[in-house]
Amino acid sequence: MSAVDPETVLPVEPTSRPAERSRLRRIAAALRNFARRAPLSAFWGCVAAAIVVMAIAAPLIAPYEPLKSDFRHMAKPPDATHFFGTDQIGRDTLSRVIHGSRTSLTIAIAAVLFGTTLGALWGLASGYFGGRFDIVSQRIIEFLQSFPDLILAMAIAMALGAGLGTVIVAIAITRIPFGGRVIRAVVLSLKEMSYVEAARGLGASHLRMMARHILPQCVAPYLILATTHLGVAIIIEASLGFLGVGIPPPTPTWGNMLADSLNAGLVPPWWLVLFPGLAITITVLAFNLLGDGIRDILDPRLRGAV
Amino acid sequence: MYTYIVRRLAFGAVTVVGVSIVVFMVLRVLPGDQLVAVFGPEGYTKLSDAERAGYMAQLGLSDPLVVQYLHWIRDIATGSLGRSFFRAESVAEMIARRGPLTAEIALISVVLSWVVGIPVAVVSALRPNSIADNISRFVSILFLAVPGFWLGMLIVLGLLFTFGYRAPLAGASLFQDPIANLQIVIGPAIVLGLGQAAYIARMARSSLLEVIREDYVRTARAKGLSGRLVIGWHALPNALLPVITLSGILLGFVLAGSIPVERAFGTPGLGYAMFTAVSERDVFVMQNLVFLYAIVFVMLNIAVDVTIAWIDPRIRYR
Repeated sequence: MSAVDPETVLPVEPTSRPAERSRLRRIAAALRNFARRAPLSAFWGCVAAAIVVMAIAAPLIAPYEPLKSDFRHMAKPPDATHFFGTDQIGRDTLSRVIHGSRTSLTIAIAAVLFGTTLGALWGLASGYFGGRFDIVSQRIIEFLQSFPDLILAMAIAMALGAGLGTVIVAIAITRIPFGGRVIRAVVLSLKEMSYVEAARGLGASHLRMMARHILPQCVAPYLILATTHLGVAIIIEASLGFLGVGIPPPTPTWGNMLADSLNAGLVPPWWLVLFPGLAITITVLAFNLLGDGIRDILDPRLRGAV
Repeated sequence: MYTYIVRRLAFGAVTVVGVSIVVFMVLRVLPGDQLVAVFGPEGYTKLSDAERAGYMAQLGLSDPLVVQYLHWIRDIATGSLGRSFFRAESVAEMIARRGPLTAEIALISVVLSWVVGIPVAVVSALRPNSIADNISRFVSILFLAVPGFWLGMLIVLGLLFTFGYRAPLAGASLFQDPIANLQIVIGPAIVLGLGQAAYIARMARSSLLEVIREDYVRTARAKGLSGRLVIGWHALPNALLPVITLSGILLGFVLAGSIPVERAFGTPGLGYAMFTAVSERDVFVMQNLVFLYAIVFVMLNIAVDVTIAWIDPRIRYR
């Protein structure tokens, strides 16, 4: 395979390279456009990206081991060696907050990828086919929505026992109805469009219709939905951790750290409360504002719908 | 109107039966042995097989699932709701003792969310994209991102450090000791109310901006009415319809949100009982409380739908 005659490759190169370059340029232009039209969202988008990088590179950034106790520095307030202080068994709070972003983001992203996507595909199918399938789907979705999402997630997480997979499943299930409802509504309005009817008239199969003509139009609402729901998923994960049905300790998660601070004594040290919560707030805020910006640019009509 | 209400109630009843089955299935059929929860993993291994069987029978856990389910339904019908693994009190007594606190918190928080959210939305909508509008939008987005329980912990800490004050931890009834009761309830209500106010303000703002563009609002302006009168008298009532729906849904979410918030404040309400049940893996209490929350949630949704249909005939006749 490696011995390719350069002369057969050469004629191909000039056509493929500019295509690639122009795609890069298009993406760069789109990003510039985004930054110009929604500077606030672009800024918070950068914050979100920074948090994702922090989660990936956590072991490189964190000044200490998140699980290692230093018994000479127990329950110390923030100082020059431990910027965010230490907890009651001498673990560095800053390192734990940094490592906590890993769990939070992993769970939130996985839950949204499974839950919102499954819901979206379900909504796509139920909106497209309509009829009895749609009616049954709508009832199931309404039924799922008859539990407040935190309670549903708590019951599932408690029944399945604590663990990473469980928490992801528990949060993902609560995300299904939202994806289903929004995408179904989009599909219902698309179905009446004349280009879709034209494709049907040309004899396109159901699969081709959905994949080729309807799906691309659902990408924008899906992206908006997914970004916003990342924030919701992070808050649910933190609440589960706080209530003791999330990831079991000693794994540092923001929710666990807040729960731990309550066990630190009669009065929780302020630095153990302030920093993990601040991390949750900033992360959720970043994703929400990024989602708002994406919505304003891609589809202003969805204001209020998502 | 009546057929609409009847139809909504019938669907609600079907949902409640379905909810009871799902709650039962999730908490009983899925893995996790109840005896491990009661005795702890170590205590459990020390029990002999005969003892295990005896305890299971005593708790009614060795019957076939259908029988267990019917027993539960019987318990619900007689109003005792079964017993906790760990406490002498029946679940019904616990709900009667702790429920009012949580209900108070929920109601005060809803009132608060309207009192804060609607004026903010009106100010925003009167001058869209002004400084006041941008500030209020950012603050409401900020409050969507702040976890209520964390805000609660900060408030508790702040009061403790600055005034050395802590709300009383023992339950107090509204009628016997109104002052202690208010001290317990006000913190969670403020936290949950501000969280809802953010949603209410956002919804009311966008709804108002839409209504303001309608012809009848322009007519009212053309008549020479003042801006305030146009907004307050003509635009606001129509703009509030989606806000009422949202507020009903939010009330359901407040009930769930009160679980971590009550834990943060140490409020002796139902939410705290739910937290205790979860950490003790007390399946009986958990199943009843989840069911109770789901029923309240379903009934709230029905109440909201009926209210909207009553206010807006367009929905009733659809």
